Amino acid sequence: MVIYEKKYDVIDLETGRLDPLIFTDEEVYREELDKIFGRAWVMIGHDTLVPNRNDFFHTYIGEDPVILTRDANGKLHAFLNVCRHRGARVVRADIGNAPNFMCAYHGWTYSNQGDLEFVPGEDEAYYRDIDKEELRLVEAKVETYAGIVFATWDKGAPTLEAFLGDARWYLDMTFNRLDGGTEAFGPIKWIEPVNWKTAVDNCSDNYHVPTTHLSAILVGTQMQGLPRLTHQKQFESENKHIFINGHSITVRPLEKPDQARQIHGVTEENRHLFEDFYRSTFAEAEKRLGSFRAGGLQLGNHSIFPNGVLGFRLAHPRGPLETEFWHFALVEKDLPDDLKSSLKRASGNYNGVTGLFEQDDMDNWRGVTRGSRGSLARAYGQRLSMGVGHEGRNPDLPGIVSERYVSENNQRHFYRRWEEFMNADSWTDIPLEPITANFEGTATIKGTE
Amino acid sequence: MSNQKLGQDLWHELMQFYIHEAWLLDDRKFREWLELFTDDILYFMPRRLNVQRADSAKELSQPGDLAIFDDDKTYLAMRVERLETGMAWSENPPSRTRHLVGNLVVEPVDGDSDSNNSYSNNDEVKAKTAFILYRTHHETDENIFAGSREDILRRVDGAWKIAKRTIVLDSNVILSKNLSVFF
Repeated sequence: MVIYEKKYDVIDLETGRLDPLIFTDEEVYREELDKIFGRAWVMIGHDTLVPNRNDFFHTYIGEDPVILTRDANGKLHAFLNVCRHRGARVVRADIGNAPNFMCAYHGWTYSNQGDLEFVPGEDEAYYRDIDKEELRLVEAKVETYAGIVFATWDKGAPTLEAFLGDARWYLDMTFNRLDGGTEAFGPIKWIEPVNWKTAVDNCSDNYHVPTTHLSAILVGTQMQGLPRLTHQKQFESENKHIFINGHSITVRPLEKPDQARQIHGVTEENRHLFEDFYRSTFAEAEKRLGSFRAGGLQLGNHSIFPNGVLGFRLAHPRGPLETEFWHFALVEKDLPDDLKSSLKRASGNYNGVTGLFEQDDMDNWRGVTRGSRGSLARAYGQRLSMGVGHEGRNPDLPGIVSERYVSENNQRHFYRRWEEFMNADSWTDIPLEPITANFEGTATIKGTE
Repeated sequence: MSNQKLGQDLWHELMQFYIHEAWLLDDRKFREWLELFTDDILYFMPRRLNVQRADSAKELSQPGDLAIFDDDKTYLAMRVERLETGMAWSENPPSRTRHLVGNLVVEPVDGDSDSNNSYSNNDEVKAKTAFILYRTHHETDENIFAGSREDILRRVDGAWKIAKRTIVLDSNVILSKNLSVFF
């Protein structure tokens, strides 16, 4: 075994001490863009955001602007939105439909398959001495998981299937339940004064909910017709928290297969409509996922390494002290329209920039980010010691499973994964948990073949 | 009275209404503010996309799509009730706000009137305003939101109420940590 000195040793797995430097340091940040966002499979969009040929949707991998487009043959591409000439953006709109992209600076024009098709003055000004073949748009590797589009710049990256690993066994319960798949709406975009990692690690922090979100819980539980969430309930919860390849997964056991999933938008009034829906789609879900995943468990809050937060929602880094957050609503295509509407409406009202819940997160995360700049704060560090040593394997659940639903195993796993990426010279140094889960049913990584 | 005079009176009356509303918000009288809305209110702020001119029809997300605000009375009341718990941390300590409302244009509700500028029998009118909302929070957070509002106002027991409000922000990526204030 090669023994080398780790450049980054930011999380102490015994004491839970975390070095706050990673939230504020410019050099660390620049290295993250290369070593994490330059390597990982990053969620960039969804099939349904570019439904037609020549549609494009503008997105990001880290700070790099990316054009997600469906070419004339229906194939998805992710291009760096940077003209090969001077680096200006060739697409300046959020969405559109175009067979080619002209840079508005000097007119270099690319096809939506990435070919540099036209350079003004190629014969005269360049004396035909320009290699258009070499000056294609830079293209990322693209793969989809049940309609969600992931991309990576790294040619040495493993498959998306390996990257997600057994996390997919859980994600399937929300994203891959029905033949019809899901549909994405949004995003709502805003700038958070926080380091991107706080948004990710917090989304599976089951400890903060009864305090940070108390006001939203007080007014929301009434509408949902559920008992009020308390600290005690969180500590004694039967829910499970699982860690795989830096992804964080929570699951809730269901009492019966048609139980309305605990999601914003399911209210006391419409709960029976959701239950009708789960009942009428159970056979299909069971065929796709097997009975345990179709009716025994619900996927709860989760994050997908590096920057997927609480479902298909993205924390785009914008310097160490800022994050551009994108809130999407993802709903099953086969849902009746009125249920779709109530999920969409609740999605934006509970989370997103106006969210009853999410608006209260901001000053916490900002505190974590900005507080890390002080000399004393740096010296003392953060303490993520909750539940050290209380995790292990569970015969029914793939991955490493926390003993309790509330713990800081999540943060320790996330920052350890961060170290693995930051200390690696290439993908060959980054460990991946083997896939061991029994993927019962017909659902595949593509959704439906 | 002439239609013109009626129009001027109405404009004046509604401008007073909006000034009153702005003071309620800036004085943090949110419960009183909530009473300005009818029970069937839709308080709506679409997403605003950055699109080429040819795609202008797609600039605003449509009703039914994911929106920034999409509140019926229940949700809007939840927002106010939340503030009253004292534990809505995004507004405790509270934001300092200044709502400036102007550029009022009053129009008959579409298809509601067969003659222009005839407001005399209308219990519903369309009122468009432009606004600037200045907000600071904690020590140094500062936001300037600008945009338009298009309201359907309804006269209920002699008083104007807002039956539908569509707020269009002049923003794509919202340069604010949250929208915990009202528009």
